Amino acid sequence: MGIISLFWRLDVTMDFGIATSDDPILVTGAAGFLGPRVVGSLLDKGFRRIRCLTRSTSNLARLKKEIDRHNGLGRTEIVTGTLLSREDCTKFVKDVPLIYHLAAGSGTKAFSDAFLNSVVTTRNLLDAAFENMCLRRFVNISSFAVYTNRKKPQWRLLDETCPVEEHPESRAEAYCYGKVKQDELVIEYGRKHAIPYVIVRPGSVYGPGKDFIPGRVGIDSFGLYLHFGGANPIPFTHLDNCADAIVLAGLKAGIEGEVFNVVDDDLPSSRRYLRLYKKNVKSFKSIYVPHAFSYLFCYLWEKYSEWSHGQLPPVYTRREWAATWKKTYYSNRKIKDMVGWKPGVTTSEGLRSYFESCRESRSH
Amino acid sequence: MLKVAIVGCGKIADSHASQIQRIPGCEIIGTCDREELMAKQLAERFRVKRFYGHLDPLLREGQPDVVHITTPPQSHYEIGRQCLEAGCHIYVEKPFAIDAVETEKLISLADRTGLRLTVGTDEQFSAVARRMRKLIRDGYLGGTPVHIESTWCYEFGDSAYTKALLGDKQHWARTLPGGLLHNTISHGIAKIAEYLPGESPQVIAHGFVSPFLKQLGENEIIDELRVILQGEGGTTAYFTFSSQMRPSLHEFRVYGPENSLVFDEDQQWLIKLRGERFKSYAEKFLPQAGFAKQYVGSFFRNARLFLARDFHMNSGKKHLIEEFYRSITDGAPVPIAYREILLTSRIMDAIFTQIGTQAPFSPEREVWRKDEPSPE
Repeated sequence: MGIISLFWRLDVTMDFGIATSDDPILVTGAAGFLGPRVVGSLLDKGFRRIRCLTRSTSNLARLKKEIDRHNGLGRTEIVTGTLLSREDCTKFVKDVPLIYHLAAGSGTKAFSDAFLNSVVTTRNLLDAAFENMCLRRFVNISSFAVYTNRKKPQWRLLDETCPVEEHPESRAEAYCYGKVKQDELVIEYGRKHAIPYVIVRPGSVYGPGKDFIPGRVGIDSFGLYLHFGGANPIPFTHLDNCADAIVLAGLKAGIEGEVFNVVDDDLPSSRRYLRLYKKNVKSFKSIYVPHAFSYLFCYLWEKYSEWSHGQLPPVYTRREWAATWKKTYYSNRKIKDMVGWKPGVTTSEGLRSYFESCRESRSH
Repeated sequence: MLKVAIVGCGKIADSHASQIQRIPGCEIIGTCDREELMAKQLAERFRVKRFYGHLDPLLREGQPDVVHITTPPQSHYEIGRQCLEAGCHIYVEKPFAIDAVETEKLISLADRTGLRLTVGTDEQFSAVARRMRKLIRDGYLGGTPVHIESTWCYEFGDSAYTKALLGDKQHWARTLPGGLLHNTISHGIAKIAEYLPGESPQVIAHGFVSPFLKQLGENEIIDELRVILQGEGGTTAYFTFSSQMRPSLHEFRVYGPENSLVFDEDQQWLIKLRGERFKSYAEKFLPQAGFAKQYVGSFFRNARLFLARDFHMNSGKKHLIEEFYRSITDGAPVPIAYREILLTSRIMDAIFTQIGTQAPFSPEREVWRKDEPSPE
């Protein structure tokens, strides 16, 4: 980083193969949870023309703070618009050889919203990039949510060879549906229009600014926290590690069409994470539900949902159980080997600073 | 088999598709959206064979009997007109149209073509609303309503819709003549219209921006509304819309000359308010026991409906659609009288004129999908 900063100060153009430090780089979703850190990581690498796409409703505080932290004021351009507008997309991708597509339809329970904000937007962006004819890499940010986690080739190990959900509409998880369809679209554009893409699938991204217990740990839908995860490892990746992985996936030559999972090393178990969270952030009562019971619960819920024509929505199903609570181990071997990524923040260090930030935000 | 099509494949279309598929004797034959990908995703998820990016081929090739129009209100009239002219009955999401003029035109066209139409104010067909209707028809009130009170609240939660509405000055809901109110109050107003006699009531409306929104720097969206109405024969009504009241009520009261009724839409209870009083101190004790009995009765009624698989979150929609389809297949009366649809539009027009929200309708802002958030 020191050498790169020196080159930047000397105003030397650096060639990363996919793009040079003078090329415009587009980051969609720049004001989201991951966006500011991706922008920060690009600034670290010496890029001088980073186009940060935000929505009119975005809170820009974190992005601006990150830009300030990296002295990136003259090297970034914050643009506001909507990927639903083809005109906006054409404007944003002009002369851009590298796109980091982080924007997505998250936080919605409606399938149509998730689809609109993940798939239609991606289609518009890809069409615009295709017409622009200077795209060299499209980094599509996906998610672990797309994996079915059933019928894995290596039993409990989840890696990039594992099958993606065939019927994401049955998962009752709008985000999963949107992401599966988004990935399908990107792959189709790669095949039909030779769009050079890379798909990055982060696990549970944690870090300052997001106080949460992943659904993989359990649920609190019934007034009492039901701990379903038990000894399962939780596929965490620290915000900084994940941002670095995404940026590297955009710059490494020769990995077009590849998919990379991003998880950190030394993953904590669900039980350990819950214990640490209760100790460091907020204490509450929880009950551990063994896997056999959580599976039975999901099975019964699914059957009742079918029988009653959706009187209870099919939120707990066997598919959901497999994707979320089935005991699984995770591999980050591929991204380490092919991209050269390694997590800079260790899990113990990351969790400590994360809990600190949670406590701090709660005290405000 | 009744052939059904859905035009406008946003969030609200999902609840239409899922309820239609619960009704025997009908089939969704096509979905349509100006963004063909949206039509495709709805078709895939609900196993519909055809999807379209334009209305014409849907009407020509699919030849649906009924079209559900689930687009934003700005496009209801034009799509409704085309469907009626193509010989289709129409179910139009609420609010029915931009104003009473458009409403009247669609109703006239339906009458001329011998086709049926209805509006998606499905809360009028929830279990408690149906029960109230039956009690009133059976004469429980003891005559024409004396007074009606409809309270309809709205919570600015953390939804994509709210964020988009507050953040995007060009959001389609803002471009409606009544702004946010236009897209939200018709459920509450339609309930009044059902029981308020006459065609042209007197309307006195007062609307303002809540301190909550002002604090956020929002000075255009009117989110607090109080209305007094007087219909024929002296029946009066109050309508309250609030984004700040807690609990966020969806309550409806009808006061008759002998007895009164009140129901809560969210909790699905209906309480009979006896006009007759007990003697002396009995009035201080016995009514409470009666209310307790009624609340317990509501609990068991809801439980019974749940066990009978007829207590879905939007079961009102299924009942409304079912009654509408019956009006088409069996010639039964339409579930919502055209007088009520028109009266609802007229009351809303009067409110928006008085509170000064009348924003000019811009055809360029015409959109085809409801509850469309504004993504990046």
